[in-house]
Amino acid sequence: MTPEYRDQLLPRIAAGDVQAFALWLSSAEPRIRLSLSRFASSVDAEAVLQETLLRLWQVAHRVEVDPQGDALLRLGVRIARNLAIDHVRKLERTELVKQLTEQAAPDADSASPAEPDPLLRAVIQRCLEALPAKPRMALSARLENHGQEPDESLAERLQMKLNTFLKNFGRARQFLLECLRGQGVDLSFQSEAEG
Amino acid sequence: MDEESLIEEVVSAHRERGPHGEVRFAPAFHDLERDARRSAFDRSVEQRRIEALLDPQGLSTTGHAVLARIQKRP
Repeated sequence: MTPEYRDQLLPRIAAGDVQAFALWLSSAEPRIRLSLSRFASSVDAEAVLQETLLRLWQVAHRVEVDPQGDALLRLGVRIARNLAIDHVRKLERTELVKQLTEQAAPDADSASPAEPDPLLRAVIQRCLEALPAKPRMALSARLENHGQEPDESLAERLQMKLNTFLKNFGRARQFLLECLRGQGVDLSFQSEAEG
Repeated sequence: MDEESLIEEVVSAHRERGPHGEVRFAPAFHDLERDARRSAFDRSVEQRRIEALLDPQGLSTTGHAVLARIQKRP
């Protein structure tokens, strides 16, 4: 999805169109997540990201398309950064705050999230089907639940101990990544530690 | 719980809400050392890529969690 297309979605998002926001999210969420990479050892990036996306939805009606483009995404990167710094401040990590605030804002376009691709989805689906039963159950439980319930509930439903559920989930992802590498698809990621 | 399991707990998109609706950190996050927190971040990136590629709308569980939250709001 291009920045221009994301901007085209802005009026619909501002008018409260959830489907337009979902479309925007599919492209913007990975970019905002990666912008939090340098805070990853200090803050829970998932929590900061979700808070950011909720705030973007709330303020979208006040955001205007500008010549720089990608107005909502750029705002999202700023909100995420500010929230992360607030959390770091609360943790009284003043030295780290100084170091991080002195760094330039990340380039939101540098991230390259996976775009929907039916062929790639079919490859992943095949790898998913090849998973051993219990890891597949753990992974599917989280996928289908969409983050609505804690792992304790999902584990209980699968009649697994929480620790077993978590181990199975980790194995499932490892297996999937290895299976995909075998198919020539590398989705692995390793961030750089902050210096 | 061992470090590996704590990391996998942090990888989940499920986050509790505070009394004012704020998104709370995963409790397991506080039990992790810095390197393990970074591992959790990296694994989350990988996990969300897989989720988005499998989802008909191209959304990860994070995207779905946020949309569910928005639609619950009055």
